[in-house]
Amino acid sequence: MKSKKIHAVFLLTFLNAVLFGSQQKTIKDDLAFPFVMTSPPQRIISLAPNITEILFDLDLGEKVVGVTRYCDFPEKALKKEKIGGMIDPNLEKIIALNPDLIIGFRGNPLRIIERLRGLHLPLFVLEMGTNLETVFIVIEKIGTITQKEEKAEILVESLKNRYSKTQTALRNVQHEPRVFLSIHGTGLWTCGKGSFLNDLVEKARGVNVAGNIPRKWLHYNREQLIHDNPEVIIILSKSETEFSKVKEWIKNEAHLKGIKAVETDRIYFLDENLATRPGPRLIDALEELARILHPQFFKEER
Amino acid sequence: MKTRTKKLRLLLVLLILLVVGLLISLLEGPVETNFNDLWNLIINNDSTFRTIFIDLRLSRALLAFLVGASLSLSGAILQGYFQNPMAGPFVVGVSSGASFGAVLCIYLGLNIRIIGFSVQSIFAFASGFAIVSLVYLLSQRKGVFKVETLLLTGIAAGALASALTSFMIFLKADSFEQAVFWLLGSFALSDWNQITAVVPYFFLCFIIAQWLAKDMNLLVLGDDVAQSLGCPVSSVRKIFLAISTFLAASSVSVSGIIGFVGLIVPHWIRILIGPDHRHLFLFSSLTGGIFLIYSDLLARTLLRGELPIGIITAVVGAPFFIYLLSQRK
Repeated sequence: MKSKKIHAVFLLTFLNAVLFGSQQKTIKDDLAFPFVMTSPPQRIISLAPNITEILFDLDLGEKVVGVTRYCDFPEKALKKEKIGGMIDPNLEKIIALNPDLIIGFRGNPLRIIERLRGLHLPLFVLEMGTNLETVFIVIEKIGTITQKEEKAEILVESLKNRYSKTQTALRNVQHEPRVFLSIHGTGLWTCGKGSFLNDLVEKARGVNVAGNIPRKWLHYNREQLIHDNPEVIIILSKSETEFSKVKEWIKNEAHLKGIKAVETDRIYFLDENLATRPGPRLIDALEELARILHPQFFKEER
Repeated sequence: MKTRTKKLRLLLVLLILLVVGLLISLLEGPVETNFNDLWNLIINNDSTFRTIFIDLRLSRALLAFLVGASLSLSGAILQGYFQNPMAGPFVVGVSSGASFGAVLCIYLGLNIRIIGFSVQSIFAFASGFAIVSLVYLLSQRKGVFKVETLLLTGIAAGALASALTSFMIFLKADSFEQAVFWLLGSFALSDWNQITAVVPYFFLCFIIAQWLAKDMNLLVLGDDVAQSLGCPVSSVRKIFLAISTFLAASSVSVSGIIGFVGLIVPHWIRILIGPDHRHLFLFSSLTGGIFLIYSDLLARTLLRGELPIGIITAVVGAPFFIYLLSQRK
């Protein structure tokens, strides 16, 4: 009787190994931490807005159970349980949601990442990189761990198509305008060499005036800005109203009156949520920025 | 006799506050829980609730208690040591030194563990200790030891360490949230490893302090008098300085800088039960721990997110401290 039971257990284990064992795969996340893949995840928590956007684009919206308080796109994401912010996710809420996959990124504090691992939660951390192409890799990786490879491939393919279309349209650009990117509303916050926003400007065939400073984010010097004399100022903001406030501020700033962009009124709005999230909509931002910097090459389309 | 009952009564009150504080800490949090859930945990050992109650809330409350106790004990020792009410772990430069070490570690990108301790903690510890040793050596001139010089050198060295810390944070603005942690303190990510890292130091230091409490009482009379009464002044002083540094640096290494606790708690106790160090050490540790349990409770429930606990300790501690001072005369 007993031995029969043991046989049955053996058989089940064997069957299990044959049927499901092949699906069990271990891959490493971008911090080189092993992640064991079993069945497709059913309860996913996203620790960043761009990750949420990618998940929804991969038709995984239904499986997302928790997002950050900044995840506002697509609209359905607003209805999901909030687990806190990117730098202050709440451990209790994450645990209570009983996730089988948590996708984080290198912008989440390492201390939090370590704590989540310490609690043996199924965490996968992604590196967002410093250039636009990383978005494709990130989407593919998310596709792999959620076992939505095909969908991810289709998405990446269409994004790559749009990307090369823009590059083709810009192939005859003669003059790359000097651009100052204003982020964080008032003040002269901008991005340096190490940020993908800098790459975005370069891919849209512009020259970021702060592009040779080896820092991601920095507060720019007014004197330096006057010296650099940018031809275009791009203001990243959440809304048109916020944009006009910042624009007014720049136009009324006496010291900045002589700057070419202010003189010629080439001060433009770029949706912050498109440009600062390395997700599928970054290509929207690229197309938008390319049109702003080189309108002459996009005439036929409109 | 009268002071004895007073002490017993205070002890009883503190123990009740401790138990209540721990219980509220267990039940209160972003995920709604009640007694039934706690009961379920005990009966069914539900794994989700076990993580929330034991790994998150209990570890957090216990770490807050340990850090509060360590900082207050450190402050009580330092105030007796310098016979100066201004003394505290910050004034001597330990805390700033320790946070400098931790931030240096972030700046260098070191992020490994050595036998269970994060390198950050080891760095914090080493640099806190280095600063105090330096300050101690500088304040000794030709074998004569000057308390004023030590306090002033401590303040200067602490300021230097803080400035260097801020400079590194500025250079590496990407890890800003780490800066907030090291400069204002938090228990948000406490875990059992941190508790096991702090517990042995705390109890070891506490036992030594209690052992030498009588000598501390003699030191207050002046080094010459203490020496003539049979107290080995210079070695006692060295031991006290070492353990107070140990206590402060180990606290900072797990929770960042939490201000005001080490300074005010010993004062409260001195006002309540008098200056006898044999009782002062025990009561300061207990009260400091309880104070931080409640402060942390406020820090994590007052707003939707987390507040740095340093804000709470100052806002709650300072007015109460001023009130007690005004009642004294």
